[in-house]
Amino acid sequence: MATREVFWNISYPYVMYLLAALGVAYWIYSLYQRYQLWRIGRPDECTQEIGKRIRVFIQTLLTEILTHRKFLRDPFPGIMHFLIFWGWIILLLASAVDAFTYYANLHLVGTPYLWFSLIVDIGGLLVIIGMLMAVLRRYILKPERLNSVFDDGIITALILIILVTGYMVEGLRQAATELKTHPEWALWSPGGFVFAKAFEGMDEESLRFWHQWLWWFHALMTIGGFVYVGLVFSKFQHILVSPLNIFFRNLGPVGVPAPIDIEKAETLGVGEIKDFTWKQLLDLDACTNCGRCQDACPAWATGKPLSPRKVIQDLKVHMVKANKKQTHSSESVPTLVGEAPTEEEIWACTTCAACQETCPVYVEHLVKIIDLRRNLVLAHSKMPETAQLMLRNMQSRGHPWAGIQSLRLRGDWTSEIEVKVLSEGDRVKTLFWVGCTGALAERNVKATLSMAKVLKAVGIDFGVLGEAETCCGDPARRAGYEFQFQISAEQNIETFKNHQIQEIITMCPHCYHTLKNEYPKYGGAFKVIHYTQFLYDLIQQKKLNLSHALALNLTYQDPCYLGRYNHLYQEPRQVLQALPQIRLKEMERSRNRSFCCGGGGGHMWIEEQPGTTKINQMRLEDVLKTGADTVVTACPYCLQMFEESIEHKGMKETLKAKDLVELVEEAMEATRT
Amino acid sequence: MNTIVCVKQVPDPEIPPAKFKIDPETKKVVPPPGVPPVISVYDERAVEAALRLKDKHKGKITVISVGAGKVSDVVRHALSMGADEGFVIEDGAFENLDSFGTATVLSKAIQKIGGYDLILCGRQAADWGAGQVGSILAEILGIPVVTFACGIEAVDKKLRVRRVVKDGFEILETPMPSLVTVSSEIGLPRLPAGMSLMLARKKQIPVWKPQDIGLDLSDLDKEKAHTEIIGLSIPTRKKECEIITGTTPAEAAIQLAEKLSQLF
Amino acid sequence: MDGYQGVLVCGELAEGKLAPITIELLGIGRKLADELGEKVSLLLMGNPIGHLGQEAIAYGADQVFVAEDPLLEVYNSDAYTYLMADLCRKINPSIVLFGHTDMGCDLAPRLNGRLGGGLTMDCLTLSIDPTTKRLISTRPVFGGNAHATLMSKSARPQMATLRQKIVAPAERNDSRKGEIIPVEGKIDPSIIKMKVVERLKEEVEGVKLEDAEVIVSGGRGIGSAQNFKMLRELADLLGGAIGATRPACDEGWVPASLQIGQSGKVVSPKLYIAVALSGAMSHISGCLGSKVIVGINKDPEANIFNVARYGIVADYKEVLPALISKLKERLSK
Ligand SMILES: Cc1cc2nc3c(=O)[nH]c(=O)nc-3n(C[C@H](O)[C@H](O)[C@H](O)COP(=O)(O)OP(=O)(O)OC[C@H]3O[C@@H](n4cnc5c(N)ncnc54)[C@H](O)[C@@H]3O)c2cc1C
Repeated sequence: MATREVFWNISYPYVMYLLAALGVAYWIYSLYQRYQLWRIGRPDECTQEIGKRIRVFIQTLLTEILTHRKFLRDPFPGIMHFLIFWGWIILLLASAVDAFTYYANLHLVGTPYLWFSLIVDIGGLLVIIGMLMAVLRRYILKPERLNSVFDDGIITALILIILVTGYMVEGLRQAATELKTHPEWALWSPGGFVFAKAFEGMDEESLRFWHQWLWWFHALMTIGGFVYVGLVFSKFQHILVSPLNIFFRNLGPVGVPAPIDIEKAETLGVGEIKDFTWKQLLDLDACTNCGRCQDACPAWATGKPLSPRKVIQDLKVHMVKANKKQTHSSESVPTLVGEAPTEEEIWACTTCAACQETCPVYVEHLVKIIDLRRNLVLAHSKMPETAQLMLRNMQSRGHPWAGIQSLRLRGDWTSEIEVKVLSEGDRVKTLFWVGCTGALAERNVKATLSMAKVLKAVGIDFGVLGEAETCCGDPARRAGYEFQFQISAEQNIETFKNHQIQEIITMCPHCYHTLKNEYPKYGGAFKVIHYTQFLYDLIQQKKLNLSHALALNLTYQDPCYLGRYNHLYQEPRQVLQALPQIRLKEMERSRNRSFCCGGGGGHMWIEEQPGTTKINQMRLEDVLKTGADTVVTACPYCLQMFEESIEHKGMKETLKAKDLVELVEEAMEATRT
Repeated sequence: MNTIVCVKQVPDPEIPPAKFKIDPETKKVVPPPGVPPVISVYDERAVEAALRLKDKHKGKITVISVGAGKVSDVVRHALSMGADEGFVIEDGAFENLDSFGTATVLSKAIQKIGGYDLILCGRQAADWGAGQVGSILAEILGIPVVTFACGIEAVDKKLRVRRVVKDGFEILETPMPSLVTVSSEIGLPRLPAGMSLMLARKKQIPVWKPQDIGLDLSDLDKEKAHTEIIGLSIPTRKKECEIITGTTPAEAAIQLAEKLSQLF
Repeated sequence: MDGYQGVLVCGELAEGKLAPITIELLGIGRKLADELGEKVSLLLMGNPIGHLGQEAIAYGADQVFVAEDPLLEVYNSDAYTYLMADLCRKINPSIVLFGHTDMGCDLAPRLNGRLGGGLTMDCLTLSIDPTTKRLISTRPVFGGNAHATLMSKSARPQMATLRQKIVAPAERNDSRKGEIIPVEGKIDPSIIKMKVVERLKEEVEGVKLEDAEVIVSGGRGIGSAQNFKMLRELADLLGGAIGATRPACDEGWVPASLQIGQSGKVVSPKLYIAVALSGAMSHISGCLGSKVIVGINKDPEANIFNVARYGIVADYKEVLPALISKLKERLSK
């Protein structure tokens, strides 16, 4: 019967066990040390709801990790990782089976043994192919996003050596044993067989000699691997740390920073590494420097200094350094911002969330950047001049637009259409929340009026706040000016409660996100719907009569705060599809991979830093590739940004930027006139 | 070093010109609805000047404001920037005070607070812009006054004030206490931040009535006003753009030059 | 009324001569005095200045008070206030006029505080109410959005600072007769509490954007850094600064610090000349506070014409040279 002798030709195998135990122990100790390092951070809420976390984790494991759904969006590295990942799983499981059957005296024999040998060898082969792809990519193709460090070379070499020596050991054994007795068995271990054939001519003694040496070499490399990984806290640790990070990841809405408790806060935002929570520090170690986020980042793409990858990596280096300084000398901790990352990097972020969306290990960049901004703004009053101007405006005028904004005042639009403007004591169930840009910027007022017309046409009883509406607080919050956000939130919640509002329809995705996902922490839980959802519902209920043909070639820009933040990809598209005679052509980067317009995170007002181009101009190129004559969006910032980039390109005649609701209103026109 | 800063609440000066309305009858400005009043720009810079001194020399900043209605918001704004204490002096009689009247009320409040090394005012208010309250106040208190400051330092119990003049600056030395009026050249006021912003929200701002500061309201009698506004009007402004044409662009330019030189 | 009589002009010197504003004040002072049938006096402070008395008389003063003292050589608020208050208490003028200058803005309110008069600053017009014979003054309020007319009921003297260059200067007539009266008494140095320790002339390249009374702004249509020189020339001519739209800054034609608009600086000069810029709202919001906006654009539909007071529809390269040379001519007059 086909089988093999475990520990064939090996004396004192327990020495190997002893060394392995020491190696693994050291590795575990290194993890413990790292755990201590994370613990310099503040507590985090993520230790709550463990039950739910386990459920979600298993779900993620099954639907995402094992399938490599996120990885495979990027085929080459995706396949590469897939091969290595599954190869290792096979090898690990096989080793476990091997050990178990050996010690349980259930020796695998016969056909099962042969199949087992084959699967193991295929596992190793998958890893080798994957690793060769990695070598090809990292050292020959060298995509821009990869930032190779010494550790990458070491672990690549280590894995390849371990695997190849594994096959060699197998080959030497086969050459000395079964190749002579049962050559057909050897075929079931193809990896080993290749080497067995090569060694065939050697005499038994040399085979035994080399086998023994190589076996120990292979074992020591593997054990040494553990020590190495522990010693330098190699990226290889991600095998453990990244799943841990996925387990503890934020399960709530994306990009919602923690409130600052004024009464208790000792620091404002993150000024030193220990001001992060421990989970945020865990994040730093979970990052494998893969660069997917950098590829997705609009700031990076347009030549700004920000790379989310670099921010995380720099913070990681800083974490280790700052901790050493703290424990080994009385020297003060190095300042965080400036050393890693710089102010320019921090302010370049548009909070578009593309980095987080693409990260396979759920690193959360956004909140960190906001935390860093908070410290700059709240504790040091350091911010770009244009950010300060915006925040001053919010503070004194209740909106972020510069002093004299157009010739408009907040409530002016209400005089252009008859709507119920709520005054003291009025009660209404549904509030139409316009937002600052929708009320003040000439171009956006058009969309606001369209929405009001649609609402009236379908006979909804709704109210607006008119001049009493103030900013939702979004730009302040993204810019780190948390207190102003808090003041806005509390004020608005009070206003909503005073009018006994139950349901809020927002024009702006940023207001939507803020009201829906951030106000609950301040005691304001209302039903918040974005107008695209509202229109979608109307269409579902067949309450919208869209009969007027528009005959347009459209493409749709997913607003970040609608898509990635709130997963509303379908609703706006369904509404578009319901418009008569339109053709919708998607841009290459769309839905969750949509590319930012450049206006989020306060950047509607904070001047974009110099780069190779502007974000909105880069996005316009995507639009042009579709051949569309109209780019539709559902966000006032996107609309502004497109209007500007179209103007810049001198294409006003051939390309229009529209708000979705403007098209809906146009399509309805026919029914009413 | 103890500083008292006088601040005024004014209608937002950035109201679009087209929205600017007045009532010629009552000679008052009718602020458009939904545009909250703000702290007068120069006064905000006076607060900033005080904060810069405090950053260097420690001490206490007290902010006061006189008003007929609710003006505690501007005091709160100053507190949120980092001032330590604030008072509001409120009475219906303070409506339409002239510069002398305002200075009189302020002087009484300042005498009640006492113990000051420096009093700061804005160089003028952003609304009526009379530009005299600081100087009159200094005269009432009998202390020196330096106007149009764009920098203040405290050196050996004296103040070194950088004053803006037409073609540069002068640096003046003045004893403590003195009154200094602050000009915008001092630089942007800080964004209210840090704890002060949140703490300011919860702080009680005492409201003083005339009797609390020993003010005899009859001193403010309208008959005794030093100046009186007898008319208020909006200068006629052509809304329409006048397109200047000529047989050649250069000719149009010459016509434009004629029009522009009338502006100077 | 109550023994207050006559118009007193507070004189200012510029490079050893009567300052232009003083000649303007003598002109309007003369007019006011004539309406009241009273005298015009001028106070000159400095050291030495006696020779200017006769000239002042030629410009319309009936009396010239001359105060000469080493302590008056340069403007000092303590000394000047003291001296002027002293004189006013002696001669009881009904009206006291100042220029709206560095000195006038400092001295007038302080003197007013000391004398308890009624002062109006930055006046655009001054006249006498025919019935009450009181001084009526108008001045801009609310950043120029409105004009207020003011009067003093009983407070005396009635004082005003007059904005420069808005009234015609007095005509010189060397045959005029008048009195030159030296002001008696030395100034006691102990009343001087504050002193100027240093004067610094500011060597800025042009005027600061935020403070400029005139701004010439260029947009994408300017085309190059080289072409911006033309705007600079116009700005220098008018004592103003240059500004720009975002695209012009982006192109590197001018530094980013000159960007005006929603994400740049907010300015409110008296005159804003917008050249080859379309007038996008995000730009315009930074300059809508300007008193007069002039648009020069080759596109008649450009939005700038919706906010401008004057417009020229043409290529700016054909407009600016003529504009500059004509303005040069006018301003040198
Ligand atoms: C979030 C955001 C913030 C922004 N912030 C600002 C800001 O702070 N400041 C700012 O300025 N912009 C800002 N912008 C940009 C703004 O929207 C406009 O794109 C910009 O102001 C247009 O600049 P422009 O008028 O110079 O260029 P254009 O709009 O291209 O106008 C050029 C004009 O020049 C005219 N022209 C061309 N050649 C000539 C010639 N030879 N003679 C006469 N006329 C000529 C053309 O007719 C045209 O009207 C912002 C945009 C966004 C989206």
